[in-house]
Amino acid sequence: MADQREQWPVLVAQAAALSSFAVELSAISEPELPGLVDYLEQGPALPFHYVSIHAPSKQRQGDEAHRIAQLADVLRRVDAIVVHPDTIGDVRHYAPLGRRLVLENMDTRKTFGHRAADLLPLFERLPSAGLCLDVAHAKDVDPTMAVARELLDAFPGRLRQVHVSSLDAEQHHVPLTPGDEELFAPVLDRCRDVPWILEAPPPS
Amino acid sequence: MDPRGPATELIDDPTGAVGRLEERTGAQFESIARAREYTADELERLGGIIDSSALSDRLSLVLCGSYARRELTPGSDDDWALIALDPFPPYDPDVVRAMAACQAQLGQEGKAPGAQDVFGVPFDVETLVLNVGLDADSNTNLTRRMLLLLESHELLGTIHTKAWDQILERYLNYGIKDYRPPRFLLNDIVRYWRTICVDFEGKHAQGDGDDPKWVSRNAKLRTSRKLLYAGGLVPVLLCHLIPAADMRAFLSRWLKAPPTDRLAAAFLLCAAEDEGARTLGAYDRWVALMRNEDAREALKNLRQADRPESPLWAEIHQIGEDFQRGLMALLFSTPLRPLAPQYAIF
Repeated sequence: MADQREQWPVLVAQAAALSSFAVELSAISEPELPGLVDYLEQGPALPFHYVSIHAPSKQRQGDEAHRIAQLADVLRRVDAIVVHPDTIGDVRHYAPLGRRLVLENMDTRKTFGHRAADLLPLFERLPSAGLCLDVAHAKDVDPTMAVARELLDAFPGRLRQVHVSSLDAEQHHVPLTPGDEELFAPVLDRCRDVPWILEAPPPS
Repeated sequence: MDPRGPATELIDDPTGAVGRLEERTGAQFESIARAREYTADELERLGGIIDSSALSDRLSLVLCGSYARRELTPGSDDDWALIALDPFPPYDPDVVRAMAACQAQLGQEGKAPGAQDVFGVPFDVETLVLNVGLDADSNTNLTRRMLLLLESHELLGTIHTKAWDQILERYLNYGIKDYRPPRFLLNDIVRYWRTICVDFEGKHAQGDGDDPKWVSRNAKLRTSRKLLYAGGLVPVLLCHLIPAADMRAFLSRWLKAPPTDRLAAAFLLCAAEDEGARTLGAYDRWVALMRNEDAREALKNLRQADRPESPLWAEIHQIGEDFQRGLMALLFSTPLRPLAPQYAIF
């Protein structure tokens, strides 16, 4: 998929071929964001019941307020905007995103955003924001998955979506391994009503 | 289905399950709680001001809609009816006197029930019970029967229980089997829900494409109407846990509880507390909107063409999606999974 980055119609078609239920369009690098916003502002007919976009967490260039303003432009065209908590500078900029704002728990490469205690102060200041539970990140922080359970216990009403994948040795998202499938099952069993976003292509 | 844990006693009585779900998950459904308080206050107030001496012992005053769902808000319509067990002639003196007493207090200040004369009028229960299916079971007949069964509350009088039992008995008096959802009742509940959805389009066509109530009807289909349907469907599916001899009592206890309690109890019974917290949370947001006078007024004035740019509609749409996903999880990703396709679809 990496060679097709920013080819939004192509990526959308590939995602729809797998499932028309939910999709996450990722502008993980900030230079990708204007193109994604342009694409969504054209109002393309999308087959999905749930559309989220991943806000930039890499190559961030512009100022935070400008980045959030771009995301706010497509607020009515998406169901969720996933933000890494460690990228948040001034919390006040994010308030206009309202319920669409979804904070994702982080892996150990990041210095912040691993546990419920990290996210709680943000949720207190952004009371409408939701949670994106990344099960692979949670396992990276705590292989027993206690952190995942802690996040679900702390924020049961905030959960909006789940990121499902495994991590390889370099902490890249890869298809779910059989071992992780078994490990994650009790956690995912508490998330049956929210969209599951596969963060790596399923095995062909 | 394998009901687990301390929630099993909810099979006997789902009343209070919303509070139980709050305790189990830490979620708070403040708007539902406030609406229940307001409903209780209003029921007490109305019970005190309507002249009960005007009701003969042949009649009961029943309230449906948000009164019966225990989610009344200051802007809610007064969905009321005067019911009799047996047919009565036009201008029956008892009925005329009771109607005058009811009309003096209900449906004032723009709170009259809909214009179709389904409610705000007297009707007899015998007609509802005798005419199930076929031509004589009119849209109005079906609506009255279903709303009496699924969401009604007796404010004054004493015949409601007997009327309610007669309706339920009509569905259960033959052909029910141990540990099988009663199909006759199930099919009528499904038929009613589909009728509401089809009538929504019919009303739209009658309005020449500019039906001023289109948006608010659409919003209710996604929320309170869907709650009404799911709140009827789920107890009937749960009959697969019940021997036939116990189904009357089981359904009586479940269908007389507020529908939000029925759904909360089902989520608890199915060990789907987290999903239940989010589903009831979505419904709580809907009740919050209905309790907000400005939002209610804005919804009333919103037109179909204006929806895409309306933040209010975006919120309602998301509430509807969250609510729907929760119900889908309950029906298709819990121990109810083997039942829902077999009984609710076919």
